Amino acid sequence: MAYTVKTWNEFKNYQSTRYKDYLHAPEGLRCMGSTWSPLAPLKGLGEDVLMIGGEPHAASKAGTFPEESREDITAAEIAGLGFHSCSYLKLFVGEVVRDKIGITDGTIKEGFPKPDLIWTTHLCSQHSKWYQEVSRRMGGIPMYAIDMIGGGNAEKDPKIVKYVCDQIEDGIHWLERVTGRDFSDELFIKAVRNEIKVLVLWGNICALNMHAPAPLDERRLIALFPPAVVDRTTDESVRLYEALLKEVKHMVDTEQSVAPDQRFRIVYFGIAHTYGHPEMARILRDVGAEIVASVYTFGTCGNFRGIVNGKWSWEPLDPAWVDELDLSTRRDAILALAKIVLGWPTWQGVRSYWALEQMARAMVAEYKADGLLLAPSRSCETDFRNGYIAMQRIFKDEIPTVEYDTDQVDVRKMDLPGAQRKTELFVHLMEAHKKGVQNK
Amino acid sequence: MNNGKHLAGLDAGHVNTKAVIMRGQEILGHSTVPTGFDVVGAAETALNQALDNVGVSRGELAGIVATGIFRDRINVPPLNVNSTLPDYAADAKGALFLNKNSRTVIDIGGNIHKAIRYDQNGDLLDVIQNDKCADGLGIFYTTMAKALGVSEHELSELALQSTRKVSVAILCAVSAESEAIDLMCQGTNIADVADAIVRFMVERVAAMCTTLSLAQEIVVTGGLAKSKALIKHLPGLLKQDVSVSSLPEYAGAIGAVISYEGGK
Amino acid sequence: MMNKGSDTIIERFRSITANTHEYARSLQGKGQILAGYMCTHVPEEILYAAGIIPVRILSSHVSQGMTRSYMHETYCSFSHDCAYQGLQHNYDYLDLIVTSSSCIHMGEAFNVWVRFAGFQQKNFLIPYPHIIETKPAHGFMVESFGEFKQFIEKFAKKSITDDDIERAIKVYNHTRRLLKRLWGFLRRDNPPITGPEVATVTLACQVMDKQECNQMLEQLIQTLEAEPHKTPSGVRLMVTGGACDDLGVFDLIEHLNYSASLIFVDSCTAARYFWFEVPEDRPDKLEAIAEGYIGKIPCPAKDNVPGTGEKKRFRFVQQFIEDFKPDGVVFLYQRFCSPQPMDVVALKPILHNLGIPSVELELDTTIPITQFGTQLEALMEIIKGVRLE
Repeated sequence: MAYTVKTWNEFKNYQSTRYKDYLHAPEGLRCMGSTWSPLAPLKGLGEDVLMIGGEPHAASKAGTFPEESREDITAAEIAGLGFHSCSYLKLFVGEVVRDKIGITDGTIKEGFPKPDLIWTTHLCSQHSKWYQEVSRRMGGIPMYAIDMIGGGNAEKDPKIVKYVCDQIEDGIHWLERVTGRDFSDELFIKAVRNEIKVLVLWGNICALNMHAPAPLDERRLIALFPPAVVDRTTDESVRLYEALLKEVKHMVDTEQSVAPDQRFRIVYFGIAHTYGHPEMARILRDVGAEIVASVYTFGTCGNFRGIVNGKWSWEPLDPAWVDELDLSTRRDAILALAKIVLGWPTWQGVRSYWALEQMARAMVAEYKADGLLLAPSRSCETDFRNGYIAMQRIFKDEIPTVEYDTDQVDVRKMDLPGAQRKTELFVHLMEAHKKGVQNK
Repeated sequence: MNNGKHLAGLDAGHVNTKAVIMRGQEILGHSTVPTGFDVVGAAETALNQALDNVGVSRGELAGIVATGIFRDRINVPPLNVNSTLPDYAADAKGALFLNKNSRTVIDIGGNIHKAIRYDQNGDLLDVIQNDKCADGLGIFYTTMAKALGVSEHELSELALQSTRKVSVAILCAVSAESEAIDLMCQGTNIADVADAIVRFMVERVAAMCTTLSLAQEIVVTGGLAKSKALIKHLPGLLKQDVSVSSLPEYAGAIGAVISYEGGK
Repeated sequence: MMNKGSDTIIERFRSITANTHEYARSLQGKGQILAGYMCTHVPEEILYAAGIIPVRILSSHVSQGMTRSYMHETYCSFSHDCAYQGLQHNYDYLDLIVTSSSCIHMGEAFNVWVRFAGFQQKNFLIPYPHIIETKPAHGFMVESFGEFKQFIEKFAKKSITDDDIERAIKVYNHTRRLLKRLWGFLRRDNPPITGPEVATVTLACQVMDKQECNQMLEQLIQTLEAEPHKTPSGVRLMVTGGACDDLGVFDLIEHLNYSASLIFVDSCTAARYFWFEVPEDRPDKLEAIAEGYIGKIPCPAKDNVPGTGEKKRFRFVQQFIEDFKPDGVVFLYQRFCSPQPMDVVALKPILHNLGIPSVELELDTTIPITQFGTQLEALMEIIKGVRLE
């Protein structure tokens, strides 16, 4: 029988509360930016920091209000943004253009609350330009974008680490100047420890999917990672993930799963494209094929052992290690934070094709995959499209591999019929492969 | 296999619906009708025409197997197909039937093109299919023939007469068509434009195929396999020889028949 | 028409752009080591100091679909074309390929060369800031260039001295100054050279040995200064955008049904390649190179001033408008480019405030001459209409 995750509602509430707070709080410091930035520095500004992250918000808006989202994207294009630009970006800018925002609790607010500042990074070639556009349209919001550089083994390269740390340090001074607030190292260090803890905890939860049956499926993973992308700096977020880890460990111990029929285990490289994904998941589920590991849900907000002796490992880090981290000074905290963010799969894979290939190879092996499903997103330039066509070429002779075109949230760019056909084809290939292996 | 029984295979594609009547290893007859908007009607018509061509009645049919993109849509009364089969599986079986030495089939259809590698039994080993931008090569070919005021056969013949290499945009059929017309506005020789159109299609197909490990012998099926100009360019890009099976547009329907009752 | 002295020199430059491989092989024939580079963020001075000739990898303008099985469809055609050339082994004669991490599309083209085109053992990726205006960018670049220098020393089996680098800096700065002077002719109403010709010369310089390039540029400029003007300028059009090495587009601009003159090209295959200098005679050469490259017109993919979010590139664009006085602007960028359209949407209101009409043209491997011509002529009619008012 399928297991029901007990902490489900708490996760949903956490996500909704953060968005509601940003929209409706009468006071507080509103901060906007990328979920791929280190978030803890913002929390050094006080206990009234309200955040909205571009990607999580765009993704959840598209899921909650599909029709509104189409209008947002169209509005952005009419306002001059290119057809080929990132659809998360266009959805978000479209909300600013229409001055209307919808959030996960089902409400739509007229009047997009202006942020006091924008704190972001530059993951792909257009990433921080997204926020330049928002800033411009909102009359010039102060913005600070951290150049993380990224790449395989980035967290082990002293010059990259120093470069990022120096920017964060400079960024903190900028935050003080632009807000007029004194920066609290105490709050900052606490937030850093929480941020690292959540990333490590999520990594542990994902790693439990190495078991058979995998306790969680992709649908649940997508729904359970929002707190980590929306705000991973709070004590509450740590508690949520500790509770979830405990629950999922119990599932493993008792051999339970949210999707117990797992004839085929799939590794998925692609974004959680909001519209097409459920249909593909249904096709897979009908034959007992489940996505047990995915670079998007794992790599967007989770840390793992990473590159060890030239090979990637999805083995988790020990959460106790986080408690023992020496974060005595601001610089210590910045250093630890910079290394953990640089160690994210997303940051490693975005600039190093070899790191992405290593990740895929390790994922297939460690999660004992029967197939590799690639779904490059047409408007994404990061790890959710970059290198996928090459990966298809590399992996096709090793494991059943199928690639289909999709997009994060722009249904016009999706090829839903094609994706359905290819998902069915993928199932046939896995069956044929299994039969072939059994006949040998 | 199925000796003595009359069997029908239906391949309900985006552009055309193909029907084939077989008895044992013998192909008795076939028919193609445009699919249009009435998918079931087209399948009925194709089947009835094929039966008429061979003088066999519906009642004499032991079974009907459907394949193609609309295989599930036509599985309704009065057709009452016995079973359906995915198009790539049918293409593999059909291609092997038509050429016993083949181990890869490149099928270029109205909307979809694919490459399939299979074993000596026609069982799937690997498949690759086009992405969104490369959809609709067959439809594009038909449209361009109309734009140039020629038949599809004539388009291929024109392309073979080309003396100068010009190119159209490679992104998608929309861009390619737009630039083909642009070339005509510039006064480019129609044969050269025809060749550019054919090469656009071959480039898209060949690019996809290189991702698969192609096993010899390679056969080309689908309606576009009848374009001599296309077949002329393809081996150069694949760096491998290809051949065109007889009845290339019926490979899927034939494969469907072969698979009746598991191919016993 | 009398064949002017400058025509012969320009024709030589044009021939080099049309036969880049032949030219490169002729350099190899003289014993030169060649390093191909993608994008303009590679510190060529370090290569040159080691006796290596940097040769920019440009498009072949061949319409092909093969790279779609190596890179996603939705990467720009410039990156697809560069990848294609690697796969076709057109550049196998190169001893090395180098890039600095730039935009994702060109990064992927580089990856194709490394993974699938036989350059696994002869490549180097220089870590480079993705936001050029960060405070620590300079220090980061110095370190990164230091590592690159060490690699090149090992590769070339020779030490690179400060003097070697200083010599290279001076040679390259000389090229940049000469190119600036050449483009400077187009400020005039009656220049002795056309915009497409200047663009051709600039493109050729990016694949040439700079010593030879400088000699030819000096000769050309000297000749032009003595030559009479060409036909008076028509409507003055400035191009701004991304990589465009298809000279046919520039020729098209000057062969419309209305008289138009191309008077400036702000792109990475034109002004952004050379519109800066590396400080000379500094004690720390790598610091000087880093300072110089930070001073380049920023690529849109790297342009975000921390604190304000300003696009520093716009300061340059506005200066070019002031200096070269265009009547209209043509936005010319690769289809699927991500950063360029994000600049266009912000630059358009500025042009509107300056009363300068514009048009956007998306580039692909093939150029739809008739369509582009129609759009450009429509721009001309708008400009003429504005003037009549």
